[in-house]
Amino acid sequence: MNTYSKTITAAVTAFTLLLSSCNDILDTKPYQQLPAASAITDATSANAALLGAYSNVQNYYSLNYPTLGFLPADNVRFNGTLNQFLQTDQNALTPDNVIITGTWTTIYQAINSANTIIDVVPGLTDPVLTASEKNKITGEAYFIRALGYFDLGRGWGGVPLVLKPTKTISDAQGIRRSSLPQTYDQVLADLTKAEELLPEAATRNRAVKKTAQALRARLHLYREQWVDAEAFASTVIGNSSYALVTPYKAFFTAPFLTNESVFELTFSNADPNTIWNNWYPSALGGQYNFQPTTDFIATLNARGGNRSSLLASVTTGSTTSIYGNLYNRSGLRDDPAYILRIAELYLIRAEARAQQDKLDGADGALADLNAVRQRAGLANSTAATKAEVLLAIEDERRLEFAFEAHRWFDLVRTKRAGDVLGVTDTRKWLFPIPLVDIGADPDLAGDQNPGY
Amino acid sequence: MKRILLFFGLLASSLYGYAQNPAVVRGRITSSEDGTALPGVNVLVKGTSTGTSTDADGNYSIAVPAKATLLFSFIGYLTQEVALSNDQTVANIALEADAKELQEIVIVGYGEQSRKTLTGSQTSVSFDELKSTPAPSPDQLIQGKAAGVQVTANSGVPGGGIFIRVRGTNSINASNDPLYIVDGVFINNNNLVRTGLGNQVASNPLADINPSDIESLEILKDANATAIYGSRGANGVVLIRTKRGKANSRSRINFNTYQGWSWAPKKFKVVTGPELATLQNERFLNDGGSPELVPFRSKASGGSGLPEEQPTYDRISDVFRTARTRSYELSASGGNDKTQYYIGGGYFNQESIVKPSEFDRYSLRINLDQHLNEQVKIGTSTALTRTHRNVSSNDNNPVGVINSALFPKSNLPVFNENGTYAKYGSFDNHLALIDNLNNNATGTRVISNVFGEYAITENLTFRTSWSIDFNDMYENNYNNTLILAGQPKGTATSALSRDVTLLNEQTLTYLKTWDKLSLQVIAGNTIQKNTYQVTSLSGQQFPTNSLETIASAATQTGTSTKAESALLSYFGKASATWNQRYTLDASFRADASSRFGVSNRWGYFPAVGAAWRLGEERFIKDLGIFDELKLRASVGKTGNQAGISEYASIGLWQGGNNYTDSPGTAPLQLANPNLSWEETRQWNVGLDLGFFRDRLTFDINYYDKYTSGLLLNVPVPLKSGYSSLLQNYGAVSNKGFELTVTGDIIRSADFQWTSSFNISTNKNKIEKLAAPFTAGSRDIFRLQEGIPLYSFWIYKQLYVDPQTGDAVYDDKGNDGITVADRQIVGNAWPDFYGGFTNTLRYKAFDLNAFFYFEKGAQIMNMNRFFLVHGGTQSNIGYIPEQLERWQKPGDITDIPRMTTVASSNNYGGTVQNLSSRYLEDGSFIRLRTVSLGYNVPKALLSKYRVASLRLYVQGTNLWTGTGYSGLDPEVNSQSGVGNTKNFDWATVPQPRTVQVGLNIGL
Repeated sequence: MNTYSKTITAAVTAFTLLLSSCNDILDTKPYQQLPAASAITDATSANAALLGAYSNVQNYYSLNYPTLGFLPADNVRFNGTLNQFLQTDQNALTPDNVIITGTWTTIYQAINSANTIIDVVPGLTDPVLTASEKNKITGEAYFIRALGYFDLGRGWGGVPLVLKPTKTISDAQGIRRSSLPQTYDQVLADLTKAEELLPEAATRNRAVKKTAQALRARLHLYREQWVDAEAFASTVIGNSSYALVTPYKAFFTAPFLTNESVFELTFSNADPNTIWNNWYPSALGGQYNFQPTTDFIATLNARGGNRSSLLASVTTGSTTSIYGNLYNRSGLRDDPAYILRIAELYLIRAEARAQQDKLDGADGALADLNAVRQRAGLANSTAATKAEVLLAIEDERRLEFAFEAHRWFDLVRTKRAGDVLGVTDTRKWLFPIPLVDIGADPDLAGDQNPGY
Repeated sequence: MKRILLFFGLLASSLYGYAQNPAVVRGRITSSEDGTALPGVNVLVKGTSTGTSTDADGNYSIAVPAKATLLFSFIGYLTQEVALSNDQTVANIALEADAKELQEIVIVGYGEQSRKTLTGSQTSVSFDELKSTPAPSPDQLIQGKAAGVQVTANSGVPGGGIFIRVRGTNSINASNDPLYIVDGVFINNNNLVRTGLGNQVASNPLADINPSDIESLEILKDANATAIYGSRGANGVVLIRTKRGKANSRSRINFNTYQGWSWAPKKFKVVTGPELATLQNERFLNDGGSPELVPFRSKASGGSGLPEEQPTYDRISDVFRTARTRSYELSASGGNDKTQYYIGGGYFNQESIVKPSEFDRYSLRINLDQHLNEQVKIGTSTALTRTHRNVSSNDNNPVGVINSALFPKSNLPVFNENGTYAKYGSFDNHLALIDNLNNNATGTRVISNVFGEYAITENLTFRTSWSIDFNDMYENNYNNTLILAGQPKGTATSALSRDVTLLNEQTLTYLKTWDKLSLQVIAGNTIQKNTYQVTSLSGQQFPTNSLETIASAATQTGTSTKAESALLSYFGKASATWNQRYTLDASFRADASSRFGVSNRWGYFPAVGAAWRLGEERFIKDLGIFDELKLRASVGKTGNQAGISEYASIGLWQGGNNYTDSPGTAPLQLANPNLSWEETRQWNVGLDLGFFRDRLTFDINYYDKYTSGLLLNVPVPLKSGYSSLLQNYGAVSNKGFELTVTGDIIRSADFQWTSSFNISTNKNKIEKLAAPFTAGSRDIFRLQEGIPLYSFWIYKQLYVDPQTGDAVYDDKGNDGITVADRQIVGNAWPDFYGGFTNTLRYKAFDLNAFFYFEKGAQIMNMNRFFLVHGGTQSNIGYIPEQLERWQKPGDITDIPRMTTVASSNNYGGTVQNLSSRYLEDGSFIRLRTVSLGYNVPKALLSKYRVASLRLYVQGTNLWTGTGYSGLDPEVNSQSGVGNTKNFDWATVPQPRTVQVGLNIGL
């Protein structure tokens, strides 16, 4: 062999060595994600998945869902530039509205998390994962799924009921919209299961037995099942862990998680809720997108009492801005999302009792209504007839839950959105199915809510 | 693998036949021009196949029979014949340059080639063309210089992102940027600035490269030119070669500087306070308000004062400034026969014409070549860059400087009575921003390559190259309490982003020229690994505005990310030319990407090309018309995987979905094990024509590209818990025509005039898509089958009813305006675009004028969308166009009557003001640059030992012809959002600049 061939042999050998050693370079592994198949394998990862499911609920309850609850109604007006909010405020939603799409998407994400937990956790074999721990985790997942379908149902009517985790895309195919009763039946089934599995202890930012019962009371109220609504409300009210706190503003004052709270989502500076930014005027660093209406301000002032703490004002120069102060943790960004409060259980029971013509006495509607009024620093209601009591309850709910996810859903539930808000086109009482989903999901083809 | 070994085996065995002969002639070949050594000159014994080529120092030795004649040939030089006398053992030759051919050696993928024999389509931009356009980044220099390459500035922010497309847009989700290769290093082009600017890409990583270091730019366009880059080549390839020292040349020192002054050619206009009040009152009355209660009535009656009493505050003027640009560069180059060097250093600083953003760059480059012996050469190309950006948000951001000046109502004071900054609605105070914005992004970039070349035989060269592209961005942002972002007690973030690519490449090149046949064969491999990581900290609640570091914050949080990807590639290419007349090229590349599942990693990308220099055929030559007539054709396939997530094929759950400050996980993406390469098939036919001794040339191309298996986030049913799944679904086509005409019009001793014109078209179409989907702010862009990308999806306004004053929209089905009436109205593609350059030289003076034009692209003018709002926006003022609104029956106008009533759809309701009345034609022609230079005559300089001195003055964007009503038709305020273009929203316009410069050569 001469020098050339030696050189070439050497070059070819070196080349070959280089090539064969570098196939491994292609086997890259994700650093901060988990392969889906190994997402839930033991107690730790099951708990992480459950927290992730709560995080998904946070995603829709921090801004979007409360917005859909108050902005279409009469307490708050939109004072900004974004059309998706303007449409919501004007009851002129279109199917491409990004709040609608965003809410629908994130609720189903929470449901998918819950479905995965319900599917996987009972079958795990981790010695650290006791049966009661499994029950707790699974029970919380059932509650999250129930909440998700309830919130979909009251917004959109009947929706597709996906009950299995999506492992491949075909898992979610072939499921068409259910009716609203079917949707609520599923909520009931999940709540029943959750009640069975969940522990008693009163944890306020996680689902426990009483949380499931409280949501069940609300579900029965929405379904006009007055006896059950009264019964489940009573179960929660009867528990000494829950009580109306005084003054009104105590429940939205740090450190939160007061006895008032049956279920609230906790946020923190590292996991922030920035809804305050939409309420605060620019003088306080906010955008003032959500402005209490003059009618609401006047009504609240006329009623008096300590619910006036819902409003605050700031003056710069000659301009005074009155703003909503329920979400007031601009510095620490840890305003909770208030989902179930004991005041609601009192008002659920009041309404259920009134509907059953139980107005007076210790177990009458007025007793519950007045309990809430007294906490607000108001005199007892003067309502006397059933109709008057129901109207008084409606009015009470308007002020008590002014900036929470209630007013619009209440007026739709009682079919009063036309009379009170002037939204006479009842087709607008349901939100549109997102346009993108109508296009992407063959099961929804031709199944848009009427009027959109 | 086996096949590759076999190939080398064959190559090796073919060399065994080579044998030495004792009768030897030696010599050194130099250039007659400057005496430098010419390496790689073919030396052939005439009438035989015995041949060799010169080494790196121009030396050769060859065994010859008696009375031999030697032929010396080299691309770019005239072939020389030397008859050897008896006993002659030395023949030193000075080759004469072939003036015509010399400029026509072009860089191709992994090599060089004579333009005459090119089969592919590519465009060269030489340094001579670049030096007259001082610009912060090299990609801006390409604008209008290369047919088929569309370059548009997204904004006038210095060092900001740029829109560049080679022959249209292929991809929807994956990257559409071309591959940039600087001295053999595939460089990263990912923006690392994380500070949100409002949907605008904050930085252009190419601005890390000092344009003055560039020797030439080569843009590879068709599949035959790019397929050797396989998976990286689908969007075109830009080869950048930086300056290197020349062997045996004396040391040259160059100093360049220029100083520029820039301003906005046009500024925003808003209505006066009285006009605003009149409009507000009118809105109030139109909506049924009582005349006694109009908002602007006398203060005595409880109003805000009569319209004519309203003051007007000018905010716009505060925002703009005359911005300075400064550039200084010093370089030295030279070399002896063993060592050649180029060392350059530069400082560049450019202020934005909108306060307060700014960009500066320190750069250093060392290019070194060292011949260890006759066979081995080593070298490096190393660039170090330090950049600094003072980042300021604009565009889609209510707390951006421009928005905060443009949007607030003009009758509202800038300051509160107590002297504090007044803020309205979501908008910040523009002066507060200008004085307090404190966002600093400091970049560190190292692009370095070391290589070794070993000439195994005179025809066969092995090269190995090891490179790093290290890109670091260190950002420190502090928002004090005077601006909204700092509410309520100050916020700060500090982030370090690092994008590192390691690259190793081997090539084996075989070059041989026989009497009529020349052959070039290249084989090689590339291993590439990329690591991207970010570590960031943020702090809230600071004790005072004077303490800015996160350590002082009451709450501190941190996060980090990391991702890796790798590519493994093998490639080969062969090119044969017969008699300088027929050329056939074939190339092949196999790439494996870590982003895909194990069974779908490999992509195979072949290409072939052929050229026939018809002009060399006797029957054409006899016509006496053509100096060049060449037909070219090529077809090939390239791939794309850039721009998708590193772990795109795997089903993933993600951490960070925390609750109650405890760690949580949630589903992130569905698995798609079938995910694989996005592929672009392209064919190209071309024609090169030369007339009048090649003083008039035409370069004509037609291409047809079809990209299939698009890496597309296909929307999936939302009930699945996912919104999309990345799939190989969908197809996009691009077809276009390119023409370049170059004229060497006047060529006399004292006066020369050269002219170059290019024009291109591109027809883009989405051929296949699972379901339509939307992109960008307010879903204004929609993608659907059968239409081009960048199509606007809005409500089509037909007219404003002269009786009612309400806007009338195209109502399909006459069922009232619903979302179903939202339709595609126009797109952002130009019908054609191009450039026109003229250079005139008279004695020591030179004048260069360069025009760039685009015709037919539409622009969505969001400034009008927001500021012609009819009263629906309570915190936003108006631009004068609102004054043209309908007021009374009979008025003919496009602007409907003022109202906030949703059902009118005038400014809200279903239409949401997404009306085609804000969509405009964005055609323009602009005098991009004009420069006048004076080269001080050598006679004057010689006594000062100065080799050259050039003084010049240059204007940029001095004139723009356009019907577009916004500030600048070159705009995209959401460059950071995929599938959008020509969206104008509070964007910094292109500055008008005048600069003076000086180049001194010693």
